[in-house]
Amino acid sequence: MAPPSTASGYFQESYDLRIAELAEERAQGKTIVGTFCLYVPDEIIFAAGADRIVLCGGRADTIAPAEQMLPRNICPLIKSSFGAILDSRAGGTASCPHVRLVDAVVAEATCDGKKKMYELLPEYVPTYVIDLPQKPGSPEAAAYFLAELRKFGKFMEDLTGNRIRPGDLQREIASANETRKLLHRLFARRKRDPPPIRGSEILRIMQRQFFLSPDRFRTGLRQLCEELDHASTPARTGPRILIAGCPMAAGNTKVADILEQKGAAIVVEESCTGTRAFWDLVDESTDPWTALAERYLRIPCACMTPNDDRIARILDLAKEYTVDGVVYYTLQFCHAYNIERLRVQKALKKEKIPMLAIESDYGDADAEQIGIRIDAFLEMVS
Amino acid sequence: MITAGIDAGAATTKVVLVRDGEIIGYRIAGTVFDFLTAAEKNYRELLDTTGIGRTDVAMVCATGYGKNAITFAGMGISEITAHARGVHHLFPGVRGIIDMGGQDSKIIVVEDGKVVDFLMNDKCAAGTGKFLEYTARALEVPISDLGNFALRSGNPSGISSMCTVFAESEVISLRARGVAKEDIAAGLIAGIAQRIAIMAKRVGLENNIAFVGGVAKNAGMRAALGKELGVALFVPPEPQITGALGAALAGQRWRQGNGALEIGINDE
Repeated sequence: MAPPSTASGYFQESYDLRIAELAEERAQGKTIVGTFCLYVPDEIIFAAGADRIVLCGGRADTIAPAEQMLPRNICPLIKSSFGAILDSRAGGTASCPHVRLVDAVVAEATCDGKKKMYELLPEYVPTYVIDLPQKPGSPEAAAYFLAELRKFGKFMEDLTGNRIRPGDLQREIASANETRKLLHRLFARRKRDPPPIRGSEILRIMQRQFFLSPDRFRTGLRQLCEELDHASTPARTGPRILIAGCPMAAGNTKVADILEQKGAAIVVEESCTGTRAFWDLVDESTDPWTALAERYLRIPCACMTPNDDRIARILDLAKEYTVDGVVYYTLQFCHAYNIERLRVQKALKKEKIPMLAIESDYGDADAEQIGIRIDAFLEMVS
Repeated sequence: MITAGIDAGAATTKVVLVRDGEIIGYRIAGTVFDFLTAAEKNYRELLDTTGIGRTDVAMVCATGYGKNAITFAGMGISEITAHARGVHHLFPGVRGIIDMGGQDSKIIVVEDGKVVDFLMNDKCAAGTGKFLEYTARALEVPISDLGNFALRSGNPSGISSMCTVFAESEVISLRARGVAKEDIAAGLIAGIAQRIAIMAKRVGLENNIAFVGGVAKNAGMRAALGKELGVALFVPPEPQITGALGAALAGQRWRQGNGALEIGINDE
């Protein structure tokens, strides 16, 4: 298996510096917003002269405070996100250090659990929700989302006191596209057999994508691509695995870690902490607002219906990255991804690509049981 | 060539000795607490009764929940692969395996002895030996008699709860209403059979199905599951040892140099 890259040291260092950097920016009067989801365009936030950080949602220790208020049988990501904010505002210790740095949370109407949780947030932190049409692909949906993004732009203008000019937006689109292209470059290197980098390392980098400043994130990516081009080929590893499913928010690396411990080579992730975060570029040749609306609505989240693009993308990735099997990962009680599993399974079966479904939470109680399934699956696809 | 397979299960430890593909002896004993102690003791006693020396055994292969604890094993495979190998050896035409053990249940789809898909239930006691143990206790019936009890029922009760804890209280309230033990036993078993059949259908099992694991010794469960699936099930004379048998066969195959599949547990 590939040894850890030296670029991961750079990402870690950037992470440590970032908190101080944001505190400094804030002291100088810059507006900072917290986000949770890929549907919130970075471009609009930056064009308004604000900065952003993704808020915590992958930690197990913030679930207990959340369960004092939320039902237990909702997904751990929602509970963990809410618990981090709740606890932070109460001055607790199980809190997310990021939330104290934000002037507002920019949320999005994706799944039911998140939508209803966001209704509880204004008591703790100013919250703005971007609405999403959930049947994308029609001109009406595109027009509606365009209007939503313009409204969000207005919100950011009011929050920061700055005006968003088309030129600002174009500049930020070009910047975000550059990051996306670099991620494509990085992911393309994982098509090699054996892959030059561990999937768990990529996951930890992807978890920081919306936390670090775009500049530092890109510097890290360039450094990493360079390093991988000169790395010696690691020894042959186990079966090549595609992980498809729910986001693995920072703090949640359980299934990726178990897969590697059992000898799998994770070569690509179809998730919010994988390809969904950067796959499509924003068209730079047209009106920036329209281009943003069009690109962001193409994110194939399971809250959309029907989500045919996601299934097609999984099949494409499985072929492009020559995978031996797919691990379909879902968070417990995530109805959207759990139900969509059947369609993905059927599509993969047709292509004779084996799939293992794993549904889990943030606890360690099922680590052994997941290990047994993974052992058997890796033997099956070897 | 002689090889040994050890299935370190959560409830019982199974050891099988195989000489050139033929079972020459097996032993089943409770795991109690310590996988390694149970496996070591069971293995030693089997060697003693069969008169085979430790050095005559070319490979010991471990499988089961506690496989990584069996430090004297030379290799290990997952229990899914082990059951598939073992059952394929006994019934080469089998396409699907239902394994109901002490703490979990598994559905395995096989093609020519190779696993092509599987499902496991190990988060809930329903569909496992544990469920039957608890409900037998609530009925005050020895676990070994539960199946035959169920077979005598003319009117199985509808048991709505498949949660072990709630099923136990449902049994108690049925008894309080004067429902015959036979009918309650049959109701419990039918409920479990239904649940397992749903799992089997989810992975597309239709016919040529083997039923193994400790619960396959329960005559009532064999009948109920067969009825639910609408087919006769292949049940080995000793349904509890197919995992250990598969492990022993994998050990033999590895020694013969055809074992690219296996992962040596001591390499990790």
